[in-house]
Amino acid sequence: MRSPFFIWFLFSVLPLVSAWSQDCQLTLSGSVSDADEKNPLDKAVIRIRETGQVAFSDEEGHYHFYLLCRGTYTLVVSHVSCDSVFWKVRLTGNLVRNVVLPHRVNQLSEITVRGTRDQQPGVVKEELRKTDIDASRGQSLGEILQRATGVTVLQTGSTVFKPVIHGLHSQRVLILNNGVRQEGQQWGSEHAPEIDPFIAERFVILKGAGALRYGPDAIAGAILVEPQALPTDQHFHSTFHTGYFNNNRQYVASLMAAQNLPYAPAFSWRAHATYKRGGNARTPDYWLANTGLEEFNYSLAMGYRKPRFRADLYLSAFNTRLGIFLGSHIGNLTDLENAIRSPRPILNIDRYDDAIGRPSQQVAHWLARWKSTWYLARADRVVLLAAQQINRRQEFDRALLSNRPELDLNIATTSADLSYEQDPQRKVTSIAGIGVIRQENVWSGSRFFIPNFLSWNPYAYALRRYTRQKGMAELGLRYDQKDITVYRNRNNVVTREKRSFGNLSGTAGLNHSLAGGWRLTANMALAWRAPGINELYVNGLHHGSATFEVGDPDLKAEKALNTSLQLRYAADSGWDADLTLYSNYIADFINLIPSGTPTLTLRGAYPTFLFLQTDAWLHGADWHLGRRLTHRWSTMAKGSLLFARDLNARDWLQQMPANRVEAALTWSIPGKFFKDTYLSPSLLYVARQSRMPSRGIDFLAPPPAYALLHLESSTQFPLGSCAVQVQMSIRNLLNTSYRDYMNRFRYFNDETGRNIQLLLRFHF
Amino acid sequence: MFQILLMYYLCRMRLNRILLLLSAITVLTPACKKAANPNDENEHEAINKVEMVFTRPGVGTTIFLIEDPDGDGGNPPSRIDTIKLNAGITYMLDVRIKNIVSGRETDLTSTIVAQGKAHEMYFIPTGITINITKNDRDASGYPIGLKSTWAVGTPGNGTLLLKLMHKTGIKGPTDAPNVGHADLQVVIPIRITI
Repeated sequence: MRSPFFIWFLFSVLPLVSAWSQDCQLTLSGSVSDADEKNPLDKAVIRIRETGQVAFSDEEGHYHFYLLCRGTYTLVVSHVSCDSVFWKVRLTGNLVRNVVLPHRVNQLSEITVRGTRDQQPGVVKEELRKTDIDASRGQSLGEILQRATGVTVLQTGSTVFKPVIHGLHSQRVLILNNGVRQEGQQWGSEHAPEIDPFIAERFVILKGAGALRYGPDAIAGAILVEPQALPTDQHFHSTFHTGYFNNNRQYVASLMAAQNLPYAPAFSWRAHATYKRGGNARTPDYWLANTGLEEFNYSLAMGYRKPRFRADLYLSAFNTRLGIFLGSHIGNLTDLENAIRSPRPILNIDRYDDAIGRPSQQVAHWLARWKSTWYLARADRVVLLAAQQINRRQEFDRALLSNRPELDLNIATTSADLSYEQDPQRKVTSIAGIGVIRQENVWSGSRFFIPNFLSWNPYAYALRRYTRQKGMAELGLRYDQKDITVYRNRNNVVTREKRSFGNLSGTAGLNHSLAGGWRLTANMALAWRAPGINELYVNGLHHGSATFEVGDPDLKAEKALNTSLQLRYAADSGWDADLTLYSNYIADFINLIPSGTPTLTLRGAYPTFLFLQTDAWLHGADWHLGRRLTHRWSTMAKGSLLFARDLNARDWLQQMPANRVEAALTWSIPGKFFKDTYLSPSLLYVARQSRMPSRGIDFLAPPPAYALLHLESSTQFPLGSCAVQVQMSIRNLLNTSYRDYMNRFRYFNDETGRNIQLLLRFHF
Repeated sequence: MFQILLMYYLCRMRLNRILLLLSAITVLTPACKKAANPNDENEHEAINKVEMVFTRPGVGTTIFLIEDPDGDGGNPPSRIDTIKLNAGITYMLDVRIKNIVSGRETDLTSTIVAQGKAHEMYFIPTGITINITKNDRDASGYPIGLKSTWAVGTPGNGTLLLKLMHKTGIKGPTDAPNVGHADLQVVIPIRITI
């Protein structure tokens, strides 16, 4: 029997067989006393940050850690009546260390925790919670990110997910993979980000245009995908994830290992590999032909660490093959109208299959990143970040003549950024940097869509941050120059065209603690974005939407004035709340508008869409409210609202996410053996999008509102030397049939039905 | 000599400097400039010419043409001939499907025959009466339609909707003309005279 479940089962059992033990027998012990009276302190908490182990001091102030490996550890010692102390130990044999804790005089209203420095204190942001990340392992980046408030996805069928922040996506949302701007063919609404989420430990969503340091073009926001730091202890860290998704019989396995070299402690490494394979997805009523996927990703990181110098090299590869639903591939407008009229897809093979045929996408993304940090006096530093990315995207539409792809784009991006950063612990700190991004795009394939180009983008930026006891203020300025040279060949005549854009952008942010556990973050940013290559020069057929898109080489840059305000509440009362209000005014907003004259071809007629500029105003709110009812029960609700106006046409903008609310109830089950056990049903309600352009842009009215019930559960338990986490969740528990306005395939098919997901994590 | 000098220099450098040098090399070696040599934008491998060859047994052949030399977009199809047939006559029709890029012609007809299980031609007359029978079969015994017999009815003017449908994996023996997606879809004027 070669069922996907069987293969997955084999994968899951393997790590148990191959679990190995290490010779880690060292002991770290000592005593804790207070600085003034030298009295022993009991109930002090000593935590090793790298391993998460915790010890408490006894009545004589003694503490012990056993079975540690050689390596460098960070110890965090805290006590109710003292300030926390951090210190590093290098363990090569058994060690005794005594700690003296300074007493807090006139205790401050909050404990400032050193080390967890906020990188963007003046930007409205949201970080995904660990439980959310754990519960969504195995899914694509877009699916994981939509757990953040204000983030939705733009879908193309059941396989392509693009994150949308406050209604905007693609080139208006910047994704930073390990500090490097992810550069590929991100202009395409059916081009998913080429990042393996298994590598990431943190996902931070910066809302608004305040993330100036990473680029001026993040008009809607930026997403930071950050991997785990390289280990400084010599324990051999390894994590194995494996999962099975019953809807499309998808299995996934991901292995990550990391270590600080025992005999060369300046060096550390981390390696990871992920494999994913799934077949056709199923809606409640039928299978979706040719919606399988296959993904293979791997990465290697190496770090070199000395007190005054650090360097790391990160290499990663992402390879995917995605089937595109057969029924979405229509020939022309007549085919599209036929497809829309039919309640069930007319072009479908209603059975399970895991073969991926045409139409499909095949994408490979390679990244090499080099980062060096030199520490100067007072923890000031100079950072050099250099990266090379190569992205190859092949799209296979219809097989008429050969097996060649219709669209074949190869883009190489080289970037270098040199910055000077002052110690973030100073009261006033500055960051200044310069850099350059070079991009070269080459198309082949049998159909023209976007031309070859070479672009250079030199830039410089400076940020200044003022820190006070209750908050901080941040100011930033940046200048970018972008020159694009386009090479075209029409009837064997090669022409060259050059477009230049240059602009200043700025940000001002404020972060302030108010009384009673409230915190206010406000940000105002002026950002701009040079038109993308597709907006300037596209000329071709967009399959799946049966539209003919025509670019305009004379487009101007988009300018945005973005204001965001976030009010957060976190206190011991059991309540937590987050309210974000935003307004994004975009002058010369580039919008795809139907022209009225269809394009005639030998394959029939296609509606023509042109890129035109207007002024847009997007504003709305995200909110989140949590309440811990008892120590076992907690509840949460969140939602988002968006109003997107075309100011020139005095109308709504098309393809904007509808209002939504989500509520969850979590039942935590305490246990001695099974830890962190919970069961959490949640309900998502998405309203019908009623804010539609009144001129009939769309072929089909927005689908009706829908509600979905999800269920998530998780538990953790030890198994020998290994910590096991079991996650079980059911998406769309009631197998509801629905269509979503933000899915480009809503013309053709329903969304996927019930999906039972089982995910295991082994942490050695 | 140069290598010895380089090795000597590298050995004397501190590790920090070597790492800096390596990072400089990464930045300063961008890929060679291929963008300046773009491909021709005219679509390759697409149908942009159709020849309809009508044979009247014992009399001779007439060819009607449809052409869109710059492919999808750009200019609309440059030539769509009016099909002129005689009333009450039975013709044999051969459809030849071609691709032209910069004047070079490739015949795609045999490729479509080879992929017969994924294709079917449709002829939908409006305003006139013609009895059309498809004569060729794919490997499953289902019609392809590149070869057909036309029994022309009474005189009149009308149109013919010519479709080549692409239907990998879903082709049946008697599909309606809307099954699959269109590789070719043209409306051709047609005139039947005495």
